[in-house]
Amino acid sequence: MAVTHDVSPRLDDLVATAHRIREAIESVIEGKSDVIRLTLTVLLAEGHLLIEDVPGVGKTMLAKALARSIDCPVRRVQFTPDLLPSDITGVSAYNQQTREFEFKPGPVFANIVVGDEINRASPKTQSALLECMGEHQVTVDGTTYPLDAPFMVIATQNPIEMEGTYPLPEAQRDRFTARIAMGYPEPAAELEMLDVHGAASPIDKLEPVATTAEVRALIEAVRGVYVSQPIKKYAIDLVTATRHSPDLRLGASPRSTLQLVRAARAHAALAGRDYVIPDDLQELCLPVLAHRLLPSVEAQGQRRPPEQVITELVRRVPVPEAQAR
Amino acid sequence: MRLPIMSGVATGAVAIALHPLFQGGAWFWTSLGIILTVTGVGMLATRYALPSRLVPVAQLAAVGVYLTAVFTGREAWARVVPTKDALLGLAGLAADGFTDIQRFAVPVPAGAGITLLTCSGVGLIAICVDFLAVRLRRAALAGLPLLSLFVVPASFLDDPLGWWTVVLGALGFLGLLVADGRERVGHWGRTVLVRRAPSFVAPRPADDPSALRLSGKRVGFTAIALAILLPSLLPTLEPDPLFGFGVGGGKGGSGSAISFPDPVANLRRELELPANSTVLTYLTSDNAPRYLRLYSLDVFDGEQWTMTKPTGRPEDRTSEGPLPPAPGQSPSVPAAPVTTRISVSDEVRDLKFLPLPYPPGTIRIDGDWRPDRDTLMVFSHSDTAGGVDYEVVSTEPKPTAAMLKSAGQAPEEIRRRYLALPDDLPSELRRLAQEQTGEGTTPYEKALLLQEFFTTTGGFTYSLATQGHNGSALLDFLFFSKSGYCEQFAASMAVLARTLGIPSRVAIGYTGGASLSGRWNVRAHDSHAWPELYFEGAGWLRFEPTPAGPTGQASASRPFYTYPEVLTDAGDEPSATPSAGPTGAGASSGPSAARRNPAFDRESGGAPLLVDEGMPTAAKAGIGTALAVLTLLIPALIGHMTRRRRRRLYSRPSGPVRESSAAAGVTAVRADRDRTAEAAVSAAWAELDDALCDYGMVREPSESPRALARRLARQYGFDAEATASVTRIAAAVERLLFARTPGETGPLGEDVRRVRRALAAAVSRGRRIRAVLFPPSTLLRIRTAGARMLDGFDRLGNIRIRLPARRDA
Repeated sequence: MAVTHDVSPRLDDLVATAHRIREAIESVIEGKSDVIRLTLTVLLAEGHLLIEDVPGVGKTMLAKALARSIDCPVRRVQFTPDLLPSDITGVSAYNQQTREFEFKPGPVFANIVVGDEINRASPKTQSALLECMGEHQVTVDGTTYPLDAPFMVIATQNPIEMEGTYPLPEAQRDRFTARIAMGYPEPAAELEMLDVHGAASPIDKLEPVATTAEVRALIEAVRGVYVSQPIKKYAIDLVTATRHSPDLRLGASPRSTLQLVRAARAHAALAGRDYVIPDDLQELCLPVLAHRLLPSVEAQGQRRPPEQVITELVRRVPVPEAQAR
Repeated sequence: MRLPIMSGVATGAVAIALHPLFQGGAWFWTSLGIILTVTGVGMLATRYALPSRLVPVAQLAAVGVYLTAVFTGREAWARVVPTKDALLGLAGLAADGFTDIQRFAVPVPAGAGITLLTCSGVGLIAICVDFLAVRLRRAALAGLPLLSLFVVPASFLDDPLGWWTVVLGALGFLGLLVADGRERVGHWGRTVLVRRAPSFVAPRPADDPSALRLSGKRVGFTAIALAILLPSLLPTLEPDPLFGFGVGGGKGGSGSAISFPDPVANLRRELELPANSTVLTYLTSDNAPRYLRLYSLDVFDGEQWTMTKPTGRPEDRTSEGPLPPAPGQSPSVPAAPVTTRISVSDEVRDLKFLPLPYPPGTIRIDGDWRPDRDTLMVFSHSDTAGGVDYEVVSTEPKPTAAMLKSAGQAPEEIRRRYLALPDDLPSELRRLAQEQTGEGTTPYEKALLLQEFFTTTGGFTYSLATQGHNGSALLDFLFFSKSGYCEQFAASMAVLARTLGIPSRVAIGYTGGASLSGRWNVRAHDSHAWPELYFEGAGWLRFEPTPAGPTGQASASRPFYTYPEVLTDAGDEPSATPSAGPTGAGASSGPSAARRNPAFDRESGGAPLLVDEGMPTAAKAGIGTALAVLTLLIPALIGHMTRRRRRRLYSRPSGPVRESSAAAGVTAVRADRDRTAEAAVSAAWAELDDALCDYGMVREPSESPRALARRLARQYGFDAEATASVTRIAAAVERLLFARTPGETGPLGEDVRRVRRALAAAVSRGRRIRAVLFPPSTLLRIRTAGARMLDGFDRLGNIRIRLPARRDA
């Protein structure tokens, strides 16, 4: 990186810690540094991550590895068609000794919640996650219980064309900061995986490399990353472009603008910068925006997925330019 | 509705070109009123869909009412409706106007008569334009009446029209064409005004109608700009041929064909000098005054005297030795050489003929001056006489009366040229000449009697009011008014002499002036015209029919050989100094000069005068090429200057805060330093951007500085140093744009140079040369500036006239 000379000590810590976490995860998942980097970005941006791909490429492994490498409570929920909302949020049970209803916290009461195959549950259950993802709190029987910070939902889903899946509603998709696809590993990485995973699962050996407090401090540092006026304008330009594109039926929401800038802050911080540059936004546009957009009928007819539309838009929107002298 | 308005605007814009013809602006406001009247009627007719054939009639009626109201409102009924008296009054005014036009030369005082004629003319043109453009929908044809309006000042003025009047007129016509185009499109349906999208979101489609309109307008503006600028840029073309209609011009000198100056126009130009200022001073070897001749007019066409264009042969140049011998002057007639040293005032502009005593022999002067063999006029196509000192030796003939009386027949060629008279010359003239010279037996005696007739016996008075200049005006002068000034006298005597068979011509120049502390001082008001008559042996001799003295042309004097005593006396040694000498030269002939005589306006001026090249063609071509090359190199020069300015900015390090100023206010100093750093980084970035543009390397608008640096290094195979440099520049720009503080930046000069070199290495030699000579970045910048200017025009063009929409049922 060309410019690192005035990074605050806190940012140095951040970079170091993030590096440790990354290394820990990479020891489990080979050759997926982009995905891991994005995962960390979402964590530091206080967002939620949706991992979408065919079964068996390591979605759950990634989620678990991240959870393991941070020394914090982790819960895993396997979504099935018969899963009920209370199975996620928790339930009030009658305690015969105290003769009172007692709240039994569900699996969301953790710092990292891994929702496996989220699109296999019924929409009712899926929407139970909405409140906790959006507002970091759970309301059961009229009582609101705050969730601990950091709180991150890592959901995995199979592509919607697969059997026995309910597609996530737009409202819920919008709450995920980013969606990533794992993709098949490179042959070399797969070979390495065979060697390592042959004997025992390396995840069992994974030791936590950061504490909750450390992660909280990192998030705090990310909030201090500077976003200049031209960059804000550029982010708005990018998002506006999706709203005016004839290839898209539904453009990105203002919430997505917010999350795009927040993710860009985290991205900049991970690069050791205390200010956001257009490259941060350009890189994040695809994972942050693509899953929120609906292609128009024409674009569908031409088999142009939103990802392609976004790539074209990013190439068209001009970056903030210095004044010529 | 737009079209009738634009017709009015176009007429008004062209009418402004009439302004140099008038003194004062009253005519303009009245003409504006008439244009408004015509336009108003036109608008009403359009609105109420009047049959187009009726519109001009209605407009004519409106013009009549307007003229009545303005000029003869008192006689009109209710000040507006024309009555018989009012119409008679108008007719009277018009007659006055015609008389004034005959009497005055431009600029004319805008009297009621002339104003009436002017605005009637403008009104008629306005009606024509409206009829062609609005009723017949032939907007392009409407250019013809506009052009005819434009030709009026062009043909009356000897100075070229101001370029801005041309631009105004052209813009007016262009506006009319644009309005016509819009109206035409409007007939298809509503015109769609597409707002130009400032952002990428809705890029303007190429076939947008406003783009079409825009390009039309651009073509128009560019054509006007080229028409104005190109002639002045081309080294061999003067702006004059384009706008210097009619006579005049003569400013040129670089071309092979020069415009032939109009004698009177040149005179007038001198007369426009501050009141009666000194034109020239001279010293003569015998200390006597001399008439100094500029032009010799040899052709009488029935109305006026004009000049055959002189031809100057290179071998006759004044620098080549004595001039050719004076025609008709024989060695048997005694002649005394007189040396005259003349200094022309440097306030005299554009005088291309030398004031010389006749007949000039040897002239010592710098520059390329050439005599015309027949008339001995000396002129130059490259030099001007203003501020020039020269010396001339003239051999004045000193004929005795006996010699003149016994002068023989003039040679055939002289007779053919200088006795030519139009066939339809009124017979009264011949009769008058015969009557007045009946006593004389020889041509010389007849000439003296003619002079006598004008100066004493004829009862002529000297008056400065200009009379007309047609054949009847000559009769009027000779038989009725008997009042005029030097030009009438000279012209009349020359004509009468020709009827008597004496070869004659009219000379224009200066009288001898007045003596002032030893030098002869010739002022603007000493300008004069006189006849020259030919006598075999003596050559051309001047006569003086204009009354001299306080009641006449003050400094005029009769030549010694025209005095009665010479006539009777054998006259062995006549006095060279005439009695009406310089001592009487108190008053001036000023007004004769203050009004220019239209008689000489339409000289054969403007006809190209073919003379041999003064400057070798190669040299001219060389200068032309050099100028063209210089013009072509303007972008390179601008580019170079921009680069130098930027280099100064980015080579300056944003140094640390100076100790001395730190105490004063660190914040202020830091802000100042930040500004310096900002300027430096911006300059470096702009330089890099321009380098990319110059070398034809594309830059995506969505490419961030960092991405650009990465791509350049990869695509053009930068070495480590260059890669580091371009990364440094990109990082600095990035920080400047997006970070909280721009931070410290070292001088980027070396980095920019290195990157430029690395980029240059990646392109062909041709591209590199082009980048230096015709930098595309600079061309682009010039184009952008032009586009911005045109955008300004577009904004003007988009001002829409809003009328409340009619809601019918």
